[in-house]
Amino acid sequence: MNSFSAEERLALRESVHRLLSKGSDERAVRATMDTPGGYDSKLWQELAGMGVVGLIVDEAHGGAGVGPMELELVMEEVGAALLCSPFLASSVLAAALLYGLADEELNDRLLPGIAEGSCIATAAVTGRNGCWTPDGVTVSGQEVDGEWRLDGCASFVVHGQSADVLLVLANTSQGFKCFVVESGAAGVGMTALPTFDHTLRLTEITFEGVKAEHVAAQIPAWDAVARAMDLTLVALAGEQAGAAQRCLSSTVEYAKTRIQFGRAIGSFQAVKHMAADLLLETESSISAARNAAASLAEDADGAAEAVSLAAFACADAFVATAATSIQMHGGIAFTWEHPAHLYLRRARADAQLFGSSSFHRERFIQALGA
Amino acid sequence: MSSENPVSDDVLREEVRGWLADNWIPEQAAAVGGTERIWGASDELKAWLGKVVEARWAVPSWPVEWFGRGLSASQAKIIIREFASVRAPGAGQDRSSMWANTLLARGTEPLKAKLLGPILKSEVDMCLLYSEPGAGSDLAGIRTRADLQGDHFVVNGQKVWTSGAAIADYGMLIARTDWDVPKHAGISFFFCPMKQPGIEVRPLRQITDESHFNEVFITDAIVPADNLLGGVNTGWKVLQTALAYERSILGDFARGARSGAKESRKEEVLIALAREAGVLEDPALRQEIAQAIAYKKLNSLNNARVKADLEQGTTSPAMSLGKLAMSRILHEEARVRTAILGAQSLFEGSDYPRAEDANFLTLNAYFTSIGGGTDQIQRNIIGERVLGLPKEPEVDTSIPFRDVRTS
Ligand SMILES: Cc1cc2nc3c(=O)[nH]c(=O)nc-3n(C[C@H](O)[C@H](O)[C@H](O)COP(=O)(O)OP(=O)(O)OC[C@H]3O[C@@H](n4cnc5c(N)ncnc54)[C@H](O)[C@@H]3O)c2cc1C
Repeated sequence: MNSFSAEERLALRESVHRLLSKGSDERAVRATMDTPGGYDSKLWQELAGMGVVGLIVDEAHGGAGVGPMELELVMEEVGAALLCSPFLASSVLAAALLYGLADEELNDRLLPGIAEGSCIATAAVTGRNGCWTPDGVTVSGQEVDGEWRLDGCASFVVHGQSADVLLVLANTSQGFKCFVVESGAAGVGMTALPTFDHTLRLTEITFEGVKAEHVAAQIPAWDAVARAMDLTLVALAGEQAGAAQRCLSSTVEYAKTRIQFGRAIGSFQAVKHMAADLLLETESSISAARNAAASLAEDADGAAEAVSLAAFACADAFVATAATSIQMHGGIAFTWEHPAHLYLRRARADAQLFGSSSFHRERFIQALGA
Repeated sequence: MSSENPVSDDVLREEVRGWLADNWIPEQAAAVGGTERIWGASDELKAWLGKVVEARWAVPSWPVEWFGRGLSASQAKIIIREFASVRAPGAGQDRSSMWANTLLARGTEPLKAKLLGPILKSEVDMCLLYSEPGAGSDLAGIRTRADLQGDHFVVNGQKVWTSGAAIADYGMLIARTDWDVPKHAGISFFFCPMKQPGIEVRPLRQITDESHFNEVFITDAIVPADNLLGGVNTGWKVLQTALAYERSILGDFARGARSGAKESRKEEVLIALAREAGVLEDPALRQEIAQAIAYKKLNSLNNARVKADLEQGTTSPAMSLGKLAMSRILHEEARVRTAILGAQSLFEGSDYPRAEDANFLTLNAYFTSIGGGTDQIQRNIIGERVLGLPKEPEVDTSIPFRDVRTS
């Protein structure tokens, strides 16, 4: 794994910021969120060209080979810009799962395409109950005559409809196993789910006797999923922290320039106090996300605690910031044309995507030994 | 207002009943519809209202020269009750019509002669031209201008959050007529004709993806001088009259769920939803549900106490808390609905009615916490007017409006 110096990190962040401030400005986000695919393939290629799409893929497989800390930083920019893309699904969740499974032959086959952005992969783990625990899995696998077949349903699959390759977790008589399925394979049914956050794409996928390639994992499949989830949660925490911070800074800017009663609304203590409270939220979320990234990078003992803390602290901070920002703007933010609701929609989605805050608070207190 | 021919309650009641028996066909209730439709009355409703107005049942507490009978408020209530008992619309407009009451109280004689009848008969539709992009909390900071030219005013500016603008015939407009006096002293109040080239109405798309409101762009619109209410530069006072009528009828803006999904009547909605989602036994969620329901119950208890006090002729500070309480209730209920649904709240649309409701209610809660005066402004009002805390220093109330800082 490459470890970046502080300057290199800053430079990476800066270049992502520059690209997204044009390619994923508000107009672009609104245009992209209305497309069926939900991402802009030109921007996706540009991100790939910058090495962002293959950020965590190792250099031998064509990626930048960096770790959780760089990923978290990039995600802060991704969140701030409300980027519409399969980055979290393909470049983070799927790539991390492949690393966890550590099937070399498979990695040689899939990772280069993922790094290059030409292959979009995603992971199908939970079923319709949306529960990110072993009980949540509702796909089953059976070996018949040396061939594996999958049946059942996976839901909440992020960017499933754009995926070329699905990594599917299934229950088998030998416990959980991971399988590789091409999205166009016979027996695969894809339904795009209507999301309240229009910048997100979620898919329900049904499997009817789908022929699947069994992954020769080095560790139990659920463990690999759990590890991939940890990195994904850190990435998501970065997205939430970055988005919350952007939301607050644009709101504070507005409070400085919006005049009512002959004064900037930010001069009213009611507004000032809301802003100060949100700063506490957003700064805490940045700390939590970066701390979780660092502890994953170090593979520290307290990683479970740090990741679960970041998961709910960042989710709650983003929801609170986006929600309060509407109140702080007044009527203008009650209009579709104003971006505030786009942030609130993303915040509400992110807060449920890989487990709710109460789920992660429970994990947190368990990590604390209770 | 003294009655010309005093009648006893019983005689009055008999007269209304008799008239309703002769004129109201209960079966026509559906065709006529209720007056809860504020805009675009049906022809059946208009025809019916015409009869009600001619028979002087619409505004019985008003003077006889203006469609009334000069009755007391309590006798007027008898008429309202009789109409209500057969579900006939149109009575009690002396209580419910903000437009007609404002016009009666402050309008010029020619304007009253022209519009009072048509308004009571719903022959003309009305809208409000108050808020502006630059003047929301600070409504007295409006910058739409009205300049007198001969026998009419020429109006220029922009209004926002106007419902019914596209079909309205007249808008109750506040505009600035003097820029050299402090802000409240240079405002005038008009009935602005809406169907003219100088008025352009553009629908406003809300965060809920609905469009109940409009922006109104006003360019050299003409308003006859007779349409000025209460005299030049007294508009702020007229507005207070109109707002008082509006408050007395509006109650609160709270709306229920959008999906129309059936929600259990017997049980609290949140409890029913949690039961349905199989999470009612979750102890943390139970606490949140209990608290959200408690906010609602406490508000009803406050309201009941306020009402009882009012009937006793006393007032209670709880009176001013309803809107703030409602805002918290709506935001909290939406939040707890989301917690109950968990990942299901990611969705929208008719296939996901529970999620649709939770998401809609989350967004629509701002209708109450921003619309009609923000929570922050409500708290200022409560602090200053109810608790008697010192007022915030004001920087803009005693200088010429021309010199007030603007965005
Ligand atoms: C759904 C909806 C319906 C509406 N319906 C109508 C309608 O029918 N008719 C109509 O005329 N208007 C209507 N409005 C407009 C509404 O009255 C204003 O939006 C509201 O008063 C806030 O004004 P603003 O939007 O300009 O926000 P601003 O006044 O700019 O407020 C921005 C922020 O500053 C805060 N703030 C402002 N002044 C102070 C202060 N003195 N102290 C502390 N905080 C302050 C506010 O609380 C808010 O957080 C509606 C608005 C909405 C959203």
